[in-house]
Amino acid sequence: MSETKTALVIGGGIAGIEAALKIGQSGYKVLLVEVAESLGGVLEKLYNSYPRYENPADLIKYKVEQLNECPNITVMTQTKVISADQKPNSYLVKLQNKSEAKEVEVDAVVIATGSQMLDVTSHGEYGYGHYDNVVNSLEFEEILKEWATNKDKVTPPKTVAFFKCVGSRDRSKGYPYCSKICCMYTAKQAGVVKEMFPDTKCYVFYMDYRAAGREYEEFVRSVIEDKKVKYVRGRPAKVLPEDGRLLIRAEDTLRGMPIEVTADMVVLAAALEPSAGTKEMSNIFPVKTDKYGFIDYETNEVMKTGERIYYAGACSFAVESLGAMHQGGAAAAQVLALFNQEN
Amino acid sequence: MPSSTTPMTADFFKAIKLDEIDNSFQQELLDNCGIDLNTCLECGKCSGGCSNTHIFDITARQVVKLIKMGEVDSLLKMDSLWTCVSCQLCVDRCPASIDIPRIMDYLREVAYKNQIPATREQVLVFHELMLGHIEKGGRVEEGFLAMEFNLKTGDYFKDVFDPGMKMFFKGKVNPFTPKMKKRDETRRIFKMTSLRKG
Ligand SMILES: Cc1cc2nc3c(=O)[nH]c(=O)nc-3n(C[C@H](O)[C@H](O)[C@H](O)COP(=O)(O)OP(=O)(O)OC[C@H]3O[C@@H](n4cnc5c(N)ncnc54)[C@H](O)[C@@H]3O)c2cc1C
Ligand code: SF4
Ligand code: SF4
Ligand code: SF4
Repeated sequence: MSETKTALVIGGGIAGIEAALKIGQSGYKVLLVEVAESLGGVLEKLYNSYPRYENPADLIKYKVEQLNECPNITVMTQTKVISADQKPNSYLVKLQNKSEAKEVEVDAVVIATGSQMLDVTSHGEYGYGHYDNVVNSLEFEEILKEWATNKDKVTPPKTVAFFKCVGSRDRSKGYPYCSKICCMYTAKQAGVVKEMFPDTKCYVFYMDYRAAGREYEEFVRSVIEDKKVKYVRGRPAKVLPEDGRLLIRAEDTLRGMPIEVTADMVVLAAALEPSAGTKEMSNIFPVKTDKYGFIDYETNEVMKTGERIYYAGACSFAVESLGAMHQGGAAAAQVLALFNQEN
Repeated sequence: MPSSTTPMTADFFKAIKLDEIDNSFQQELLDNCGIDLNTCLECGKCSGGCSNTHIFDITARQVVKLIKMGEVDSLLKMDSLWTCVSCQLCVDRCPASIDIPRIMDYLREVAYKNQIPATREQVLVFHELMLGHIEKGGRVEEGFLAMEFNLKTGDYFKDVFDPGMKMFFKGKVNPFTPKMKKRDETRRIFKMTSLRKG
């Protein structure tokens, strides 16, 4: 078996890492490029992960060690793909890091550039960007980390409110689709707050909770039943400042009555949209995208989106970390099948 | 609610026969106003944001639901029909952009056409007087409108001194509103669209 073939993996989140690992461990060369300073993507920013309250940093650490042990894999951080030229059986790709530009020829490409949170200043009624204590869910993961490290110095909030579907399932000011993972991470975050500060009241405003997955329903039920997070059925209409706190107005749609609650912090589960990097890659490479700009799949093929181009993870739609990792493995299988056939 | 004297067999919560629901009004809204209630997510953001929801007997979200359940009769009699102030907050918040103020207008039109008494007679009187002004002069003469309203409702001095006179001295109310130029045009619109009884 010749080992001359090279795969380019773009994006060093869990999906890209897994794809790179499996291709490299199978004996082919891999170039893993990541625009940030370090690998890990969104997982690196999380306090912990549903449904097993694991520390995602441990997972990344474990995977990065394997990457380092594999001689076939070259990791390039702070590096971007600038352009790509399609050849009969390869791509001529220009890479750019801080100091130099470099051209490489690769035989297959895996795009794993992830998604990002919608900028919810679009929803003026919630005051994101105006009130300090209205944050999006990713910013809240940072806050959880901070609370956990300074637990003794933090004054616990009296009340934290979580709004789901902000900009998702919203054809007026956001996207009509459901962002798939926010029901789960919102349950996780509210549960974590109750764990840290049992006296803090947590309210989750929901239309539905979507918990389709192994251990998911049990996870959400435990957050409601054991951790005593209150679920309120109704989409909040307004956040108003009141004596340094935040007054929330909504309707409890099961009771059919207007309700109000005053909170110290409001966490917005903002819609997930294709990341800027994902949009860039779909301009550079001949791939399929859907109407929102997510990488789209080729019918009848696993993780394939173009000639010698595969994808994995949140660049193609919101997905939980386990799913992103599985997709990385599946994309690797496609690359390996292609390479093996040509040898 | 059932009391101790009500017979045990009374149908207080008789099941609604889903397959017998009359959806014609929902269809009418789609045909006449282009409003598709199937896009409603039943989220309650409309009623949560409604400026008058605290005095509504049926909330904005419930209005949408009741239309879908074919219960239009109760909507034509409801108090919310006359306490909705067309402020547009609900439609601004709605993730499906459902134009509830337009639905309220449409319901008012149907109620008016069918001579269903308004629960807030004054609101109806005010609407009628205001539209009368527009029909006649092409615009509203605020001072006269307020006077006529007080005469009609028998509350002669309502708002006359405060804020009426205050507003007058600040130049907010003009007692001699200039007439519009093309008054015939406005009258023609009224002729074409009027729902006036009799
Ligand atoms: C608030 C929040 C909480 C979450 N909680 C959980 C949880 O509890 N449990 C769970 O299972 N999942 C959770 N997730 C989901 C999890 O974060 C994702 O499944 C996972 O991060 C997806 O991995 P990925 O590799 O596809 O994308 P990402 O993690 O987004 O990685 C993409 C990588 O590509 C890089 N990149 C982007 N553009 C370029 C470019 N042009 N060139 C080079 N590199 C580029 C980025 O810098 C990034 O490192 C959560 C997500 C969010 C937003
Ligand atoms: S996953 Fe849940 S919170 Fe996220 S958009 Fe879907 S229903 Fe809303
Ligand atoms: S228009 Fe009517 S229903 Fe809508 S928010 Fe205003 S008062 Fe409420
Ligand atoms: S806000 Fe819109 S989608 Fe939500 S319940 Fe009201 S009408 Fe339906």
